Amino acid sequence: MSYRVKRSEFDDILSKLQEDYKIYAPTRKKDKGTFSDTDLVLYDRVSSLEEIDFNSKTKYSPKEVVFPITQTLFYFNGDEYIEAEDKGEKVLVFLRPCEVNAFKRLDKIFLENGPQEDIYYKRLREKVKFVVMECTEGFDSCFCVSMGTNETEDYSIFIKVSDEEVFCEIKDEKLTEVFADQESTDYTPEFIQENKQQVEVPALEDITTDLFDSEIWKEYSKRCIGCGRCNTVCPTCSCWTMQDISYQDNENIGERRRVWAGCHIDGYTEMAGGHDFRTTYGDRMRFKTLHKIYDFRKRFDIDMCVGCGRCEDVCPQYISFVGAIKKLNQAIKEEKNNG
Amino acid sequence: MVKNPYIPTAVEIISIRPESEVDYTYRLAIDLDVDNGQFVEVSIPKVGECPISVSDFGNDYIDLTIRHVGKVTNQIANLEVGDKLGIRGPYGNGFPIEEYQGKDLVIAAGGTGLAPVKSIINHFYRNPEEINSLTLLLGFRNPANILFADEIAKWEEADHIDVILTVDEGDEEWAGNVGLVTGFVEQINFTDLANKEVVIVGPPIMMKFTSLEFMKHDIKEEQIWVSFERKMSCGIGKCGHCKMDDTYICVEGPVFNYTKAKNLVD
Amino acid sequence: MSLNVKEFKKNAYRITKDRGVTALRVRVPGGHLEAKYLTILQEIAETYGDGNLHITTRQGFEITGIPMTMVEEVNKKVAPLIEGMEAGIGVDIGNPEDGYPAAGTRNVSACIGNKVCRYAKYNTTKLAQRIEKNIFPNDYHVKIAVSGCQNDCIKAHMQDFGVLGMDLPVYDAYRCISCGACVKNCQKRATGALEFKNYKVVRDEDKCIGCGECIAKCPTNAWTRDASKKYYKLLIMGRTGKRNPRLAMPFLEWVTEDAIIDIINKTYDYVDEYIDRSLPKEHVGYIVDRTGFQVFKDYVLDGVELNPECRVAEHIDWPGYKTNVSNNFKKVGK
Repeated sequence: MSYRVKRSEFDDILSKLQEDYKIYAPTRKKDKGTFSDTDLVLYDRVSSLEEIDFNSKTKYSPKEVVFPITQTLFYFNGDEYIEAEDKGEKVLVFLRPCEVNAFKRLDKIFLENGPQEDIYYKRLREKVKFVVMECTEGFDSCFCVSMGTNETEDYSIFIKVSDEEVFCEIKDEKLTEVFADQESTDYTPEFIQENKQQVEVPALEDITTDLFDSEIWKEYSKRCIGCGRCNTVCPTCSCWTMQDISYQDNENIGERRRVWAGCHIDGYTEMAGGHDFRTTYGDRMRFKTLHKIYDFRKRFDIDMCVGCGRCEDVCPQYISFVGAIKKLNQAIKEEKNNG
Repeated sequence: MVKNPYIPTAVEIISIRPESEVDYTYRLAIDLDVDNGQFVEVSIPKVGECPISVSDFGNDYIDLTIRHVGKVTNQIANLEVGDKLGIRGPYGNGFPIEEYQGKDLVIAAGGTGLAPVKSIINHFYRNPEEINSLTLLLGFRNPANILFADEIAKWEEADHIDVILTVDEGDEEWAGNVGLVTGFVEQINFTDLANKEVVIVGPPIMMKFTSLEFMKHDIKEEQIWVSFERKMSCGIGKCGHCKMDDTYICVEGPVFNYTKAKNLVD
Repeated sequence: MSLNVKEFKKNAYRITKDRGVTALRVRVPGGHLEAKYLTILQEIAETYGDGNLHITTRQGFEITGIPMTMVEEVNKKVAPLIEGMEAGIGVDIGNPEDGYPAAGTRNVSACIGNKVCRYAKYNTTKLAQRIEKNIFPNDYHVKIAVSGCQNDCIKAHMQDFGVLGMDLPVYDAYRCISCGACVKNCQKRATGALEFKNYKVVRDEDKCIGCGECIAKCPTNAWTRDASKKYYKLLIMGRTGKRNPRLAMPFLEWVTEDAIIDIINKTYDYVDEYIDRSLPKEHVGYIVDRTGFQVFKDYVLDGVELNPECRVAEHIDWPGYKTNVSNNFKKVGK
């Protein structure tokens, strides 16, 4: 069922939705960007249409909603372990199709991988509903069409905003009530069909361990600085590290948290005693690249990368992920010709 | 309610046994269903958690041989009998001990690599009828670093076990072998190749070169088993640190047949 | 020829070594100009001058080789530039066709600033223009430069007033992933004001110089800057010269732009009160040397509203050296 809502009335709808849901959406933080007098666009709580930035790509993905940057797992009280409680709040996230698809990738790791589900992820994830924002133009660095993540059917509401109106397709019956007074229309969601960037992901059988030693990775040892921005902005990077702390005013009490970790950042593979593995940035670039477009697919049948292009947007060394995939394709071709 | 996989169980230390200057075996009072070669996540509340392989186990205990080299393990050094450690697990796959039955089993262990295979050795020590022969090739950095010296002496006395013990660097009192493990592979009896299984556990470089050495003696890749150690936070395939290619060391490992291990590149 | 040299010099013309030949100093407030003004400079240089332009250290142009007899015509030619670049930013210039009304207070120079540079904390051109508007035209000899950050590419440390941009870092512990980029970088490139406590970062306010490196390096925007206002460091009384070359020293830290403008304005009153009128000119730094820093400080801060974050120097010992102390040298001789 689709509705046409006047912009001026949309805040009423948001207010009604907020009775049951916390609403997250892309929003602009004035002058909070890394460089002075620049804004930071990211996902945060919003309560009005005006606060939602429909026209910008957020610097960070919406994954924080289900995978917080810092998350307390449990508390220590003497020998007792007390699970951190879950507020159980329901969440609506305004996001783009590629980002819905990114949640599917996170689901694979947190819910399907290994012997048990991750209960902390699950209890947040099952409370999330998607409001997909129509995205037919994309941005310069996007390549979602190449990754097959430009479309999604998994949403409660699909929304398109024009100067005067907001068009909404409602799939979730529990939400239709809020739109009851609105004029129905025949709005059909559209998806982007062509990005400015295209790339072909190599076939699984074309990746051999010989390619691990390829010269293409060595270039990145010289270019990458291991800052980890590509990891932190990525909607599918799901790695984390545990941290224990004791409270400064009472050392008997403390907590175990997890925080995001990134495979480009020093210490990611370092074990107690100092033994480390991927010490060159080229090795880390290879590890990340192959995870995003090769070995994740080998394990779960879908590529991890959703083609949002954020890693390219933020890299201070202008490393392009599409560029890396293209170099890999070239290396595969050369390998075959030599082969 | 689903059990929270991240919350440890507080377990009492029932004995602490020094193995070397920096290695201690902690016996913990817990009834765990462990396979040889599996590991547990060991916690010190407010300090941290680390993966430790189970070096031996019984009906109501597990042994953890711990080297005091990191933030958590250095804190463990301060614990006494009666104190508690947080335990989660066991995790990982363990060695396929049934595949070694009736075989000529060779176990090559370097340094702390002996810990995860000790329970296998003791299993076949106690059950000689389950195995055709057992050869141990044990290497340590120096005599002071030798682990489980009493047990090695016990194994040396067993008729069905051959022990080759070597150290990288000897000292004045050391009258035994000196040299890397790889140098002693040729002393192993390589007749009846088809009946051999080789377990190699130790530092990455030791496992790599020892494997190559065995293959020079026509041991097939399928006959070699190794155990990996990587950084881990969760032990259950979520945190990502231990992944190599599409394999999670904590889930599909830490024990791998060489046919698989050779394709796992960091 | 007959020439009122003092008036001539105030008109921004130079007395050169060639009798009857002068050079015009063109101000470029903030070191930034629309490219179209270059054609005016070109025309004057080729029509009246020797066809050359000299780029000055203060980011102005000097049009050389102009016959003194052509000054009136040159002033008319340069008028659109003065109109655009001085009157256009609010400077009370009088009739632009009369040329520059003063030359004592020098062009306010600026680094490229945050229009372009990633490190700069503010639009340096805009601040330079705001200062220009406040202090020009004026005959007192004051040199001012503004730098976007504490790298001080414009060499604000060589000025009577140097303004450096500062960031007041704000930390969101939730967003911090303990990567250590800020802590390591602060240790290596700044002052070691950051350390980890319980895997999160603690900033030592006394050690922090507001360089903003932590904000620049943070891969999660856990560090952002306090965007409620801009913060600056104000350096004073640096100079070159024959007697006592020295770097400017910090007078105020974490101060606001409005306060800086007030202080610079008050400095002109201070100069007016304390200048030694027996000399042809006296640089402000030498006046401060005579009155002492405390007199200067009390005078220029009187009635100025300082923000609570601001820190004020208690006393200042300028480094540098006295050129008349030469006992460090031994003649080579023969």
